[in-house]
Amino acid sequence: MRKPIVSPRLAASPRLAAFTLLGGLGAGLLISALFLLTQGLGLSDLASQFLGYTFTDPEGLDQTLTRAIPLILVGLSVAVCLRVKFWNIGVEGQLWAGAMAATAMPLYHIGPEPLHLWIMCVAAMLGGGVWCGVCALARLRLRANEVVTTLLMNYVAYMLAQQLLYGAWRNPEDSFPVSRSFSPDECLALLGFGHVHAGIFFALGAALFCWWLCSLSRVGYMARAVAANPLAARAVGVPAGAVVLLMATLGGALSGLAGFTIVSGEEHKLTQFIGNDFIFPSIVIAYLARTSPLGVVVAAVAVAALYTAGDSLKAFYQLPGATVLTIQAILLLCVCCGEFLLRYRVDWVKTAKAAA
Amino acid sequence: MIPSLLAAWAATIPSFAAPFLLATVGLIINERAGVMNLGAEGIMAVAAVTAVLINLGGGGAGVSLLGGVAAGLALSAVFAVMAVLLRVDQVLAGLVTFALGIGISGYVGDGSENQTISGISQLPAGAFTWAPKPLTGVLDQDVLTYAAFAAAILVWYVIEHTALGLRLRAVGEDAPAADAAGVNVAVYRAGAVLAGGVLCAVAGAHLSLVGSHLWVNGMVAGRGWIAVAMVTLARWNALRAIAAALLFGAIQALVPQLLSSGLNVPVYFIEMSPYLATLAYLVLAGMFAKGADAQPVDLGRPYLREERR
Repeated sequence: MRKPIVSPRLAASPRLAAFTLLGGLGAGLLISALFLLTQGLGLSDLASQFLGYTFTDPEGLDQTLTRAIPLILVGLSVAVCLRVKFWNIGVEGQLWAGAMAATAMPLYHIGPEPLHLWIMCVAAMLGGGVWCGVCALARLRLRANEVVTTLLMNYVAYMLAQQLLYGAWRNPEDSFPVSRSFSPDECLALLGFGHVHAGIFFALGAALFCWWLCSLSRVGYMARAVAANPLAARAVGVPAGAVVLLMATLGGALSGLAGFTIVSGEEHKLTQFIGNDFIFPSIVIAYLARTSPLGVVVAAVAVAALYTAGDSLKAFYQLPGATVLTIQAILLLCVCCGEFLLRYRVDWVKTAKAAA
Repeated sequence: MIPSLLAAWAATIPSFAAPFLLATVGLIINERAGVMNLGAEGIMAVAAVTAVLINLGGGGAGVSLLGGVAAGLALSAVFAVMAVLLRVDQVLAGLVTFALGIGISGYVGDGSENQTISGISQLPAGAFTWAPKPLTGVLDQDVLTYAAFAAAILVWYVIEHTALGLRLRAVGEDAPAADAAGVNVAVYRAGAVLAGGVLCAVAGAHLSLVGSHLWVNGMVAGRGWIAVAMVTLARWNALRAIAAALLFGAIQALVPQLLSSGLNVPVYFIEMSPYLATLAYLVLAGMFAKGADAQPVDLGRPYLREERR
């Protein structure tokens, strides 16, 4: 008889880390591909849909990049919060809060006209930041579990937006539940490539800033200490609470910024459905990127490509819309199960009975 | 007009509350053993769609319910393997379970949306003619709704008053101590996940078999997430979960009544109120250090004997 003994690894080699991540991704992709093959797709269909259309076809690339803009920002949001072990599963609420704050500025004529775009941007970051910051504050001062509070704040923001769209903000011209359209100087400029708008600079800039913050700045260093051991960090003088609050507020602000890029860059008004389906992708992106801000950009573009491919699979092969979510779930499942081998060592030991 | 409106409202509350109650009680079993399961939404969805598919295929109400439970159990087993065996972060494992459940249910239910099923109907009319008049509407429910309330009481009794429940709580409060006392932590946690998964699955089946009598993609509509929050509101106690479920059920049942009455009310603010109530509860409980202690100490912490804490 042999019995498995599981013991934690004190340190894992980078090679093993890369191996488990790639192995997990590979296994996930293989399962997803097999799953799609059973749905009547050929291998060449898969290649042309997932690699050809999404990256080389101008229309597909346009769709992928446009979709990647908010995905980068919400992915960064989760990643920054995870840096201090704060689970932000409220990116949708923060996105709605940001979108509402941004929309309120032109609707109520706040600030001088030429600065409208920047005022909207700042308002969105404030809205999202507050939406997540209060949850961090509740965890620090009231010991309220942030998983529950950020989750609940999603619904509060969503319902608030619906109430506004059916009430005070309803389009006066046609009574549809959307806000009035923004004027051109309240919209992010198109870059001359399909629907891709200037929001992509915000997203990439935010990724660079987060990289600087997490890897080079003092705050990032303190965040690592807090994540490793909050008590020890506090004992050596790191303001642990302030660091958590700062990172969580920044995370919320990034999601709020995502809301701004959607209303100002894509929709040019506040609509009913801007904030759907962001929670799980944001987690997938942050996790696959190992919370590295630059990795988030790569992961977000990959997930955006998955959505592009999903849309065309839906159109040409009548695959249900749930396909993309299922594939993301399978990928994350494989990667996080693969991590077991990274974090633990399994030894098969002879039991006493067998040895005797 | 007002009394009849109130009676109609009260009569719909139990069937609105039952899925919340079942899922919340299921999650209480999970969390008392120290496992936070965010996958309830997904488990409910696969159970709801499986029950509908079996019912459409000619299966009876009982078989459909069992099929839904089996599907929910299978997904819970995936979660148990991740969270208990492989010690994946429970939040992450729960989110994967959620997405897997929603994705798979959307997939298999794709061709069967909006097809009406027979489902489970209410108990024979006139069964409660003995009851005083205002109560007959409230009592006139289906078997599954009654079972939900019975299950809550049963789970409360088992957790609080039996040796099994004591060991379950020990695993959730202090896994190393429970282990030292000879309780197999992994077995208890996996068992709690599966038992809780059964209740979440019944909640999902209730939605389709009793509530809507059909499957629509996304019909669980966040109820599984609400259940996660309701566990806090119920302070990890299955009896208090009844009160919490009735609160959420009452508000959800109020919305269609208000809409049909044609009154001009801010519907979304009313729908928002239970979420705000839960948040307010969290704030108040934290400020007065009450209820915060009700959270199992080892909630969310994977346990490994070989790992030092």
